[in-house]
Amino acid sequence: MKYRICIRKCIYSVLFCLGLVACASAQEFRFTTTVSNNTVTQDEPFQIQFMLENGVNVASFTPPSFKDFEVLQGPSQMQGQSIFNGKRSEYIALSYLLQAKHVGNFTIAGAQARVNGNIVKSNPVLIEVRKGNAQQQQQQAAPPSAGVPSHRGQGGEDLPEGFLKKGEDINEKLKKNIFLKVDVDKTSMYEGEQLTATYKLYTRLPTNSSVTKVPAFKGFSAKDIELPNPPQATEERVNGVPYKVFTIRKTLLFPLQSGALELDPVEVDNQVRLVKMVANKRGGANRNKDPFEDFFNDPAFKDPFFDDFFNRPEVEYQDVPYKIQSNPIKINVKPVPVDGRPISYNGAVGKFNMTAVLDKKKITTDDALTLKVTISGQGNVNLLNSPKIEVPTGFDRYDPKVTDDIEKNSNPLSGSRTFEYVLMPQEAGDHTIPAVEFSYFDPAANSFKTLRSEPFSVHIEQGKHIKQDKQDYGTGKNDLVKNETGILNWTRNHSWFIVSAWFYILLLLPLLIAAGIIFYKRKKDYNTTNAAVLKHRYANKVALKRLELAARYLKEGKDKAFYEETSRAVWGYLSSKLKIPMADLSKQLVQDKLSARSINGSNTHELFNLIDNCEVALYAPGQDDRKMQGTYEKAVTIISNLEDALKN
Amino acid sequence: MLNNRNIKLVFFAIAWLLPAFTTANAQTPQSNPQQRFEQANVLFSQSKYTEAARTYQQLLDEGHTQKALFFNAGNAWYKAGKTGQAIYSYEKALQLSPNDAAIKHNLAIANQKVSGFVEELPLVFFQQWWLQLQHLHKANGWAVGTVVLFWLLIAGILVNSFLPGWKNKFLRWGNYVIGALCVLYLLMAIDTYLSSNNHQSGIVMNSNIKAKTSPDENSRDAFEIGEGMKVHIVDATAEFCKVELADGKNGWISCAYIKRL
Repeated sequence: MKYRICIRKCIYSVLFCLGLVACASAQEFRFTTTVSNNTVTQDEPFQIQFMLENGVNVASFTPPSFKDFEVLQGPSQMQGQSIFNGKRSEYIALSYLLQAKHVGNFTIAGAQARVNGNIVKSNPVLIEVRKGNAQQQQQQAAPPSAGVPSHRGQGGEDLPEGFLKKGEDINEKLKKNIFLKVDVDKTSMYEGEQLTATYKLYTRLPTNSSVTKVPAFKGFSAKDIELPNPPQATEERVNGVPYKVFTIRKTLLFPLQSGALELDPVEVDNQVRLVKMVANKRGGANRNKDPFEDFFNDPAFKDPFFDDFFNRPEVEYQDVPYKIQSNPIKINVKPVPVDGRPISYNGAVGKFNMTAVLDKKKITTDDALTLKVTISGQGNVNLLNSPKIEVPTGFDRYDPKVTDDIEKNSNPLSGSRTFEYVLMPQEAGDHTIPAVEFSYFDPAANSFKTLRSEPFSVHIEQGKHIKQDKQDYGTGKNDLVKNETGILNWTRNHSWFIVSAWFYILLLLPLLIAAGIIFYKRKKDYNTTNAAVLKHRYANKVALKRLELAARYLKEGKDKAFYEETSRAVWGYLSSKLKIPMADLSKQLVQDKLSARSINGSNTHELFNLIDNCEVALYAPGQDDRKMQGTYEKAVTIISNLEDALKN
Repeated sequence: MLNNRNIKLVFFAIAWLLPAFTTANAQTPQSNPQQRFEQANVLFSQSKYTEAARTYQQLLDEGHTQKALFFNAGNAWYKAGKTGQAIYSYEKALQLSPNDAAIKHNLAIANQKVSGFVEELPLVFFQQWWLQLQHLHKANGWAVGTVVLFWLLIAGILVNSFLPGWKNKFLRWGNYVIGALCVLYLLMAIDTYLSSNNHQSGIVMNSNIKAKTSPDENSRDAFEIGEGMKVHIVDATAEFCKVELADGKNGWISCAYIKRL
């Protein structure tokens, strides 16, 4: 509102002035549109100015619409008068600083104004917009932004640093105005604790910079925070001097080992555009007190267009290469304390929560169970190791599937890591999966903390699909050959026959039998070779037995009894051997029987001699012992001979 | 007098206890082995491997030594995740039937679970022949054969020497053949007995055992042995056994970790 009043005031004053000068000279009326550049790139601002010269009674002034452009600045209104070649002219101008939104050819319609009751229009202009220059887009770190020099600088100090003053050392100047700095939030920490490192470029000079060497972060796990592209500058004051600051890299670091570690430096190549003052072509115009200077110093003319137009100093640009490097930073990493370290601890540092979920409570052996362990919180989430899970027998376990959900650009690093354990039940029945345990080190509390879930109980039923182990071993290489069934011969642990006594007895037995047979055979052989001797011995035995009584009488010397007995024994022998009853016995019968048995004559003859001798001795006693002995021996021989003869 | 009474008392006690012992012994096998074997097979097919394995093991502990029993026990232990027990059972089954392809196959699968498993060198062909020959008869078959052949031999010799009518050269050669066979059978019987009573190899039953360089708990670790590893026991003290692996490495481990085959 105020602004409008101001404009109105201005317009009135202009009208008043015009009124004053109208009489003096009637000047040519002109209404023109001018642009600073007809062909522009997309990201290049340009200026458009609508100038109404020598207008009388200007009632309204409406600019056209800039629908394809962005108004960066404006409208800025100017008014004034000029005397040119003795002619005095007045003007009102409206100017905008525009930037194209799209690529293409655009026509900006002229501005409208009501002058002296008539509507007038300025000429339309054609703007050709091209695509932005590729090289310009590549400028990574710092676009030359420190600015076009302003001639209104009052002293050396305020002069923008892009200016190179006379006699100034370039290197000294660069060193003072461009440098790199590494910010770390701490220099001493525990292994696995987070460290934030920020690499920053401080500059007061327009420079085209590119990072040539990025730090490797040896001994750390690094996670970069995404930076806006193109880089956005911030302002920071160092020792009271403002700098433009560009963040080159911001990284979350997790030391993987303890000890003294070093953050590598970063290297940046700069092309610094320095501006050198050169002598102005218009000679003394600048030096001399310009009569218009005060006028142009009016804030309304603080505009680059006008600067360029009227008062641009003659300058020379110089691109200076400048390579800078940050200082390496020493970090002292302490190992995580050993005291009180839980068994389940495996490297987590920070602050975490854990949830463990088993997807099913009841399942068949055909299915698979999923145990999902989610660890969320702040700390080295990206480095978490899978918590160890005690799986009871009867489950096949596979390596966990790890999914990360890490919050982008979070600082400190936060998010969650999920471990999915797939468990294949192999055995039917009720099983309990023990509680999942997870421990971490909390550097803030300087202590270990352990999280524990509830144990899970699962009921597993026999699935329908029974794995058919193949009988063909070639195909099912990793399947077991199935069980053997059928009726077995249930003998207990057998005893060893070879160590039992029976084994040896049975081995000895044939030997003994063989020995017996051999012994028997030997004896039999011996007997057969002496058959006659043996036979006779037997017959002799018979005779001796018959003559047992006779022998006694012989010893006693009873001759009568001896002969009687001998005779009886011989007759008795003959009777039993020849089977003749005692009553029928006679010499004739005995002789007949013996000859029938083909007994040779000498035996028979001796037999009868003996019988006769005995009869004679019975009836003629008084014979001596020698005869008795002879008779006895004779009787033995005869009976023996008869026995042998009768046997065959 | 007092002595006499004491003795009587002892007899009385024995008379009471004896039936108690016998009934206790009779009660442990709940039902006949075949039923329990089938019951274990059912448990196995219901995927209750641990229970099945226990039942098989019970039968084995009672002294039944059937190849099928060892084989099924091996399968059950394997499925239950006890590699050491499984390999032990398979090895036992293989001792009973060294050319069974199914046992060899399953043992190979189980051995895949043994960390650091080293395959044994295959036997030379004549060793294989010997082994095959050894299993031509059952364990006591050789001894029985020895006895029978010996009788035949003696009979043959007797006939040959004492019955002149039977004497001919076929009988004589027959005797030589029988004599040679008898010697072979005797050797086989002795070898079978020795090899099945040879407990010089065993299976490691615990996992991650450190083999030491000397029979002392504090001595240096030589290498690590995983569960189910077959080892040969080359030397032993009261507590420690010197074991040798198939690849020739040897070290001392506690005998308690080894189950001898």
